Amino acid sequence: MVRSTLFLLASIMLIISCSEEDITNIENPLSYEFTRNGVSTVSFSGQTERIAMATELITAMKDFDVSDVVMLEMFANQTATGNDANPFSEAGLNASSKSIKSKVAASQDFFSSNSVESSEIKADFETWIRAQVSEVFPNKDVLAEAGVAGQIADGSSVRYINGGGLEYNQAVNKSLIGALMVDQMLNNYLSPAVLDAGDNMSNNDADIVAEDKSYTTMEHKWDEAFGYLFGAPGADFANPLNTLGSDSFLNKYLSRVDEDDDFNGIASEIYEALKLGRAAIVAKDYDVRDKQAEIIREKVSQVIAVRAVYYLQQGKRALQDGNLGVAFHDLSEGFGFVYSLRFLRKPNSSDSYFSKSEVDGFVNQLTTGNGFWDISSDTLDEMSEDIAEKFDFTVEQAGS
Amino acid sequence: MYQKISIIILLIVTTLSCNDTDPISAIDRVDSFDRSEMLSFWADEIIIPAYMAYANDLSEMDETAKTFFADPSASNLEKLRESWLEAYISWQSVSLFEIGKAEEIGLHNYTNIYPTNIELIHSNISNNNYNLILPSNFAAQGFPALDYLLYGIEDTEEGIVSTLSKEDVRTYAISLIERLYSITTEVLDHWTESYRSEFVANDGSSGTASVDKVVNDFLFFYEKYLRAAKIGIPAGKFSGSKSSRHVEGFYSEKYSKLLFQRAFTSVKDFFNGISYDGQRRGTSIKQYLDQIQNISNSDIDYSGNIISQWNVAQSAADALDSNFKTQVEEDNTKMLAVYDELQKAIVLLKVDMMQALNIQVDFVDADGD
Repeated sequence: MVRSTLFLLASIMLIISCSEEDITNIENPLSYEFTRNGVSTVSFSGQTERIAMATELITAMKDFDVSDVVMLEMFANQTATGNDANPFSEAGLNASSKSIKSKVAASQDFFSSNSVESSEIKADFETWIRAQVSEVFPNKDVLAEAGVAGQIADGSSVRYINGGGLEYNQAVNKSLIGALMVDQMLNNYLSPAVLDAGDNMSNNDADIVAEDKSYTTMEHKWDEAFGYLFGAPGADFANPLNTLGSDSFLNKYLSRVDEDDDFNGIASEIYEALKLGRAAIVAKDYDVRDKQAEIIREKVSQVIAVRAVYYLQQGKRALQDGNLGVAFHDLSEGFGFVYSLRFLRKPNSSDSYFSKSEVDGFVNQLTTGNGFWDISSDTLDEMSEDIAEKFDFTVEQAGS
Repeated sequence: MYQKISIIILLIVTTLSCNDTDPISAIDRVDSFDRSEMLSFWADEIIIPAYMAYANDLSEMDETAKTFFADPSASNLEKLRESWLEAYISWQSVSLFEIGKAEEIGLHNYTNIYPTNIELIHSNISNNNYNLILPSNFAAQGFPALDYLLYGIEDTEEGIVSTLSKEDVRTYAISLIERLYSITTEVLDHWTESYRSEFVANDGSSGTASVDKVVNDFLFFYEKYLRAAKIGIPAGKFSGSKSSRHVEGFYSEKYSKLLFQRAFTSVKDFFNGISYDGQRRGTSIKQYLDQIQNISNSDIDYSGNIISQWNVAQSAADALDSNFKTQVEEDNTKMLAVYDELQKAIVLLKVDMMQALNIQVDFVDADGD
């Protein structure tokens, strides 16, 4: 008991101080660059590829000329019968053995023995993709109304929504942030179950590198966590704060939250923790490594929760002003962030911030009846409060 | 002395809170200014006359179009173009007031989205199966689409006359003109039949009160349509690359400055309370600001600062070529300079003015996705 209290205190101090110098001797390097014998040991090309695949998928979902077959192939990078597929415009992606689908709701900590939920989540994405083509595309020249898919104006932009006001492309885009990026990062690659799997620790202690590689497996696992946040194609990997906003997924919304005065500095905190954790692996100090992982879990989870509340509140305001197109677009983005809540990881715990039934409840409130056409300001406020109360921010701070 | 300090403290608190529901702000807003009189002046002397003149010009355009299509000739095309220009200029004076029915139907989106989408226009013309109500057709209608049809659809005058008189093109042009007229009369009729009294009666100070809404519309117009769409976007302020394609009146190649000047004048006249016909002065935002400055003994000359900054912007704009396309392509620095001067007034309007008036800005910048 005394021990756990002490641990808690130590963790709190760690978080408050935001500075490691007084606790550890490990020097946090100035950039995310690590070498062994003069060769870089940083590698996360698989994450860069998946971000590129996801980018092509969400673009395709807005193109009326693309079929659901091709979109589903983009999701799985194979055909419905499991054969090789070439759905992407970028040849390298077609050649890749990686796919989005295999890593959706697929983390070690949350889903390795939770296959039922994992498969339900994968199926949700496929349902949204199919429905985009079967419900929304045929009504592309219809003015949307309650219960009727079609188009609606958001300012001078056009949005294409289902009968409940939801843009399926937004549902896929924003839900992937949780189900792919956040889940893989927080619940897989930052987890000791993955970092220390097999003989990773003894190999890392002895500087035994992976076969034909310059890095130890543990170093690589940590880099893969880094890659889901900072590995977008074209980003400055060594100094990623210089290129914040370089994808349409987690990186972009870290940038958005960081721009909010209430949360300014969060991007730097996450980056510093990733960098120090990686340096700790090089220094073979796994306590420091794991402390950084907990900081990252807390802060990345906060980014998603802030953004969920933000869009629910923006949507509420637009509904009150009678701007349905604006409101539905905000709520469509909000839907994806709410869906992503399931994957958020409480620091120093094996639990998610939100249970399956909590998230299912939110999703149900957003989609029941005619969805956004029917939703009330009170419901959106209650949902916002339910989300914010699990974190150290208020609905007001997130909502503006 | 003590009282003065209290007032100052009260004002500071009010300014800091920026919150309509704050009871202190509410007390502060009980001033002697006659909002109802201001709303009457706006409705009767500015907004309704502007819509009437605009509707009249659209009706005129409809007439000249009928004449042209009955007898397609270069001289009749010229008449049609003249009436198009007159209506386009008048539009600049009503576009500020996207309120009531205009807001409900989204008048601006159906009237002045540019650059126009010429591929979409041609596809609509050739498949002859289009629904102009759809948001996806915003960029294929209104003045910018007519700008293309009347000036850009062919390279020569003879070519334009002959292409316009082809049945499918003619049908499309007529439907664009008729639609502009019908949505405008819908808005105008709503004003004269019922909305005028509703508008004037809604003289409170909540976020949905008429003053708050009109001032927001005015600010939105200034920021998005005058500063950004007419100047900033073609000058490449936001994208980093200049783009003459984004100039208003791109195909006619000579009216962009005229349209800008009329819009800017409308902004200034509205602020100063000058009637649509220019003959009368009425209760205005300027007076409202001056009164607030008096009551609060503020050192800030709210209206004076705004007006002098606009004068600087006006001088910079006067130096522009009558065709912004030429200006952007040949000396974009001058466009950027006008943008900068218009931008300097944004702080005065959006922060100082809105705080003094205790009106919440009701629009936010979209996050672009």
